[in-house]
Amino acid sequence: MPNIRIDGIDFEAEEGWTVLEVARFLGLEIPTLCYDEGLSAWGGCRLCVVEIGEGENTKLVTSCTYPVEEGLNIRTASQRVVQARKVLIELLIASCPTSKVIQDLAAKLGIERTRFKPDWEDCVYCGLCVRICEEQMMAKAIGFADRGGKLKITTPFDKTSEVCRTCGACMYICPACQLRCEGPEPATVVCGRCYNALQPTCLDHYEDYKCYMGLTGDCGTCVKEGPEKGRQRKR
Amino acid sequence: MKTIEDLKSVIETKTKERSADKKPYIVISAGTCGRARGSLKVVQAFKDEIGKRNLQEKIEIKVTGCHGFCEAEPNIIIKPQGIFYQKVSPEDVEEIISETLINNKIIDRLLYIDPDTKKKAMHEDDILFFKKQHRLLSGNNSLIDPISIDDYFAIGGYTALLEVIDKMTPGEVIERVKRSGLRGRGGAGFPTGYKWEFCKKAKGDVKYIICNADEGDPGAYMDRSLLEGNPHAVIEGMMIGAFAIGAKEGWIYVRNEYPLAVKNIGIALKQAKEMGILGENILGSGFSFDIKAATGSGAFVCGEETALIASIEGKRGMPRQRPPFPVRKGLWGKPTNINNVETWANVPLIIKNGADWYSKIGTEGSKGTKIFSLVGKIRNTGLVEVPMGITLREIVYDIGGGIPGNREFKAVQTGGPSGGCIPRQLLSLPVDYDSLTQAGSIMGSGGMIVMDERTCMVDVARYFLNFLQDESCGKCLPCRKGIQKMLEIVTDITEGKATEEDLETLEELAQVVRDTSLCGLGQTAPNPVLATLRYFRDEYIDHIKKKKCEAAVCKEIISSPCQHTCPIDTEAAVYIALIVRERYEEALKIIKKDNPIASVLARVCHHPCEAKCRAGEGGEAIKIRNLKRFVTDWGLKKGLMLKAEPAAKNSRGKVAIIGSGPAGLTCAFYLAQKGYEVAVFEKHPVAGGMLAVGVPEFRLPREILAADVDYIKSAGVEIRTNCAIGKDLSVDDLLAQGYKAIFIATGAHKSMTLGISGEDAEGVLPGMKVLTAINLGEKIAIGKRVGVIGGGNSAVDAARAVLRTGMPYSVTIFYRRTINEMPAYKEEVDASLDEGIKIEYLTAPRRIVTDNGKLSACKFIRMKMGDVDESGRRRPIPVEGSEFTVGLDTLIVAIGEQPDTSFVEKVSELEFSRRGTLVVDSETLASNRKEIFAGGDLVTGPNTVVAAVASGKIAAESIDQFLSGEPVKREFRLTRPSRYIEPVELAEEELSKAEPPSMPHLPVEERKRNFKEVELGLTEEMAVQEARRCLRCDLETEDGKDFLEKLKKDSTVAQEVMDA
Repeated sequence: MPNIRIDGIDFEAEEGWTVLEVARFLGLEIPTLCYDEGLSAWGGCRLCVVEIGEGENTKLVTSCTYPVEEGLNIRTASQRVVQARKVLIELLIASCPTSKVIQDLAAKLGIERTRFKPDWEDCVYCGLCVRICEEQMMAKAIGFADRGGKLKITTPFDKTSEVCRTCGACMYICPACQLRCEGPEPATVVCGRCYNALQPTCLDHYEDYKCYMGLTGDCGTCVKEGPEKGRQRKR
Repeated sequence: MKTIEDLKSVIETKTKERSADKKPYIVISAGTCGRARGSLKVVQAFKDEIGKRNLQEKIEIKVTGCHGFCEAEPNIIIKPQGIFYQKVSPEDVEEIISETLINNKIIDRLLYIDPDTKKKAMHEDDILFFKKQHRLLSGNNSLIDPISIDDYFAIGGYTALLEVIDKMTPGEVIERVKRSGLRGRGGAGFPTGYKWEFCKKAKGDVKYIICNADEGDPGAYMDRSLLEGNPHAVIEGMMIGAFAIGAKEGWIYVRNEYPLAVKNIGIALKQAKEMGILGENILGSGFSFDIKAATGSGAFVCGEETALIASIEGKRGMPRQRPPFPVRKGLWGKPTNINNVETWANVPLIIKNGADWYSKIGTEGSKGTKIFSLVGKIRNTGLVEVPMGITLREIVYDIGGGIPGNREFKAVQTGGPSGGCIPRQLLSLPVDYDSLTQAGSIMGSGGMIVMDERTCMVDVARYFLNFLQDESCGKCLPCRKGIQKMLEIVTDITEGKATEEDLETLEELAQVVRDTSLCGLGQTAPNPVLATLRYFRDEYIDHIKKKKCEAAVCKEIISSPCQHTCPIDTEAAVYIALIVRERYEEALKIIKKDNPIASVLARVCHHPCEAKCRAGEGGEAIKIRNLKRFVTDWGLKKGLMLKAEPAAKNSRGKVAIIGSGPAGLTCAFYLAQKGYEVAVFEKHPVAGGMLAVGVPEFRLPREILAADVDYIKSAGVEIRTNCAIGKDLSVDDLLAQGYKAIFIATGAHKSMTLGISGEDAEGVLPGMKVLTAINLGEKIAIGKRVGVIGGGNSAVDAARAVLRTGMPYSVTIFYRRTINEMPAYKEEVDASLDEGIKIEYLTAPRRIVTDNGKLSACKFIRMKMGDVDESGRRRPIPVEGSEFTVGLDTLIVAIGEQPDTSFVEKVSELEFSRRGTLVVDSETLASNRKEIFAGGDLVTGPNTVVAAVASGKIAAESIDQFLSGEPVKREFRLTRPSRYIEPVELAEEELSKAEPPSMPHLPVEERKRNFKEVELGLTEEMAVQEARRCLRCDLETEDGKDFLEKLKKDSTVAQEVMDA
């Protein structure tokens, strides 16, 4: 039972737990993107980094993969950690501005703009689809292929898969597919309003709060598909 | 072989056989680099020739791996004498056999000649490249045939293994390696002995060892050379490691791009197995170990240990989290020890010679030797093995031979894409793990890329980021996206599109990529950016703010290097393209639009454009200045553009200009063209400044200077000669007279003194005094035996000018450095030698000998070039006891000039530097007083004519802004030509024969005693032919390429006329 200290809290953790699991158990907030409780830890998005170590030799490690060990001293929100998260979110927004999941993460961190040119990609390479296909659906139909600028997630040799059962798990878990956001400010591509629960902006277009998915923001889907189809959205 | 004794006796036998064998044999260096240069053809030629002469029993051939001196490949060594022949071709083979092997005669032309001392080297050890190395590992490459295990035995190979399995315990082996201080040579430098210990102590019976031979850094090929040249050394090291750790299976992971290494390793493994050295119960010792070879598939990331392990396991080469480290959980989840090729190769040496022996080599924290691949802008390209702690200076200058073309050293990139650059001021840095890390770089695998003044450091950062972006496995966000975004920003900087805010973003992003990346690739990816920012930040700022790439590399910023480098932005590529089409009048317009003293500069400019001309890289630079002169002379002959178009006068005020040198004249011209009333005040009786009193007539005829001065006057400029400001009028007087702005450009005319005793004697003359007197036709006493001290243009000009007065019998120039450092234009130095002037190099004056107050002789001392200092240059130091006396009756001191600011010292608020120059804003040329501006040599100290013209142009802009009530600010723009001209296609034959013309000169006898112009100018035929050689770099930008596209679609398209 390793004794650790996390954000000043002394805690006796279970053997085999990761730092993220300890944090979640204690209610400490650590943002994640490529992490899912039911899948193996990937450590790819790096959002869950925490600072460990003492004095001059501290380093940032991903809490989702780092196993607890005796004497570990963890800071989940030091300056270095928060700075890293902010820049990583800026990279994610620039990568895939249409993902509501990423927009929400940005709003939570108070990001108001991204300094990088938007790439308008559809994939953030978090690997969740690959892992759910392999580990939960037992199909292993898709995986990472190539590297560098040519990286993509696809079936082996881009051939039609014989093991894919079109279960849709990959789409279900994908943070980019989940909920599309148009982003009202194309120049900065940061929206930040979906997360702002005090402003249900669909009321701009409807008399009642219409959203059946429990959304409280300007996701735009209902406006486009609803009775006012064809009407220009405010930009 | 079945027992340890068997192997012992085999090794003994082979070693004895070899030392007893006195037969001559020829060693041919045939690693991959040698083969690329044709070593195998040389091998075949030797085989054929020996076969033809039936000498197979008498002469043996040994085809070895790489010897390391790539510059000299294909090279051979003839044993037993050890004669080293370089750059051998198959055609030389016959001569080598008959002359050297049979008749024992040396073939001089095949010997290596030291480019500095010009001495010929007979043996390897006579060559400085090899002499300073300590070739513990790589030296064996020239002794053995890599695919002959017998050769390895013959040099004592596998003796260390025997000692280990016969007499040592695993613990003792680890202790020895620990005590030796060996650190991993793959890049991180982790202490090897300790790593082995961790692996040995890890839980489990099954353990693996791996040799990481996936050498991926661009420019690094040390491991390749070891694997190709001595694979058994690596195998022996791995076996010793396996014994110590308790592993039964080992892997060598070689990158597939090394086919020769893959082949030789395969052969060596097979041989070892057949001999019973690898396998079960090796030689009856109870130790079992076997090695398998695996090849990579072209991924740089597979050099990272966890990605390498995944690759061996058949999975995608992606790194995984550490901890747990491979020593606890590695290949197939078992404890695994991975080491680099060079690390393994060191192990047998440490076992054989002992830890104490090894730890004596190197520094406190870094023991042993390291092999570096010395590449880039260096004379001696190759692999160098040196003891840790040797300075960078020794590697670059002593072993490397310095920079080719006598260019200036700029930086060394170490550690490849994960490393940083070490600049000139750190040349004394001892090369070891810790000092390199402290300086912001890393040792890395040992790549050392030397860079000179023509390397753009921003481009270097861009290059490495581009490489890493392609090689990123993509698993983690900071590496995958972060590197891409860093590359986007740096690319924007190289295209002149970035802002200073982008630089801040870049630094912040770099920090996060380093902090949060999963593996070493991402963590070290920002290093090239951060290191270049640390030492060359001003280059980044220049690109961003001033749209300037000093090294003339970034195409979107510079367009053509000639135009970009020209201080006055002359569109050389355009007028040269017009010369090709014989459209000389248009060419003249292009020249004169940026240059009001075009005919003058066409004769005296120091042509920085030619120094950056791309045709000069691996060929001859275009003779741009001579082409310009062809056009301006043609214009003068035709009477074209002799007068400028006067502009309508504005009412913003009148401007006074003090000094009618190139800076003052230019400022006056451009102000007049903007409609200002301009008056130039000149203290001498003629206008021109240094052009009139410093440059002699035989270089710049009076009529030419007069033509340009007339052109400037015709724009509406008033020049008042014989009017000295400070004496006749003061600056404050001028302002009181109603001049609204003043431009001071009085130059630097005060000769510097030597500071030795006797300098005030009669007969010792300052250089400027002599030149001015001769140029203005005044009397000056010149004796019969004249000495000139100095090496710049004024010294050479003074020497040639006094020669022409007819008075001296002899004229000798004394210069304290060598001809390589002499600043005077090469053309002028050559011409002066032709005229009979003598030049004594490496000579400095010590004392002046007088007789009754008159100069009678001068004592000189010989100098020698010392070591390279902080500036990267060698300083001359006196050779004690070498003094000698030369009888002289005239000694001209021309070692440099200083500005004379006495006439403005009392003007309030003006600031002066310690060097005696006037201080102004470096961008706008504004002084501390808003209405006073200054430029030219008065501000910079002695500088070039074209730099003065540039300052005149800038001052005119600033003064115009000031008098228009606008903020005085300098505007910077990307370099672009005003138009694109259709290029010409050169036929193969013309291309291969193309050579620059040599400028016709007046014969020496016709020019020695008069002041007639020496250079006569190119003929039309020479000019057009030379112009055709231009590579048209202006067509390399996106704009240029667009023009070519348009041209393809419609060949009659009019040339693009860009916005001004």
